[in-house]
Amino acid sequence: MSLFDARFYDLVVHLPGNAEEISRFSFVAKRYGYSGIALVNSKENSLHTVHKPAGLSIYRSVEISIKPSRLRDEIKKQRASQNILIVRGGDEELDRQAVETEGLDILLQPAKFNNVLAATAANNSITLGFDIGSIIRLRGEPRARELRIMRTNLKHARKYDLQMILTTDAHSLYDLRSPREMAALAGLFGMTTKEAADAMSKSPMEIIRKKSHDYIREGIEII
Amino acid sequence: MKTIPVLRDKKRYIVFEVISEQTVTRYDLAGEIFNSVFSLLGDAGASEINFGLLSYDGRYGILRCKREKTSDTRAALACVNTVRGQRISILVLGMSGTIKGATEKFIQQSIIKESEPE
Repeated sequence: MSLFDARFYDLVVHLPGNAEEISRFSFVAKRYGYSGIALVNSKENSLHTVHKPAGLSIYRSVEISIKPSRLRDEIKKQRASQNILIVRGGDEELDRQAVETEGLDILLQPAKFNNVLAATAANNSITLGFDIGSIIRLRGEPRARELRIMRTNLKHARKYDLQMILTTDAHSLYDLRSPREMAALAGLFGMTTKEAADAMSKSPMEIIRKKSHDYIREGIEII
Repeated sequence: MKTIPVLRDKKRYIVFEVISEQTVTRYDLAGEIFNSVFSLLGDAGASEINFGLLSYDGRYGILRCKREKTSDTRAALACVNTVRGQRISILVLGMSGTIKGATEKFIQQSIIKESEPE
């Protein structure tokens, strides 16, 4: 019926804590209406044994923060694994290295995005991440700056048909927001409700599919 | 004197739940929501959405806003993150056109739902 009946995912969740904390977070996430989360750089070894509600899956992701010259090697090293690869955007040099390497999944909030980078990202099927958490946490001028960055990123993403995802970049369970709130916040920088809903359900599902065991390469499948 | 019906603002009532470790007082919560609305939408925007905190019992609350501005109000509610140094988050349970509907449909429902598993 509505756009918000889909399954929603948040792929950038930072929880350094133990299984108990993850379990508490997962119950809150389920309440907010999420069907899956991905923990960034989690030290917990056995995510399968964590006590979690039915219908919520926990995935692993890796945020790579390294100097630009070594980024490419690091991505190549990690891309064969099942983890979702995330690079937080920074200066142009870093963004360029990130989008030029095939195998990266998400480039989060690049500050100086341009048409050349967007075209390259589209070629390598890299998803553009929007950090909604920055709108929630910041006030005043810094928030206006973040909104402006997101506005230009959205423009490029529309032009080059980039996949987008929305994330709250949560560090604790109080950072989480429900999908409808996320859509309302995304509306502040011009994203339509349809785009926002897709950015929380369709695109993350696509990334998760790509990282599953059965996936080999685009267009190839075992029958 | 009352305004004539056609000139009245059409309203929506947003039911929300506050998620926090300790109970937040009504005064603090209202202050933080007003703060968030003013910083996000500005004075002109805030005058337009016709918002008001109607009731709040320490956990559930009802907020009034203009029908056309529900999305902006939701965004402003989502921006509330701390009250007096304590982390909180606001979960919107639903929206309704009448206060009665809002209370029956969302607050009573979630209280019933919570008491069921035991």
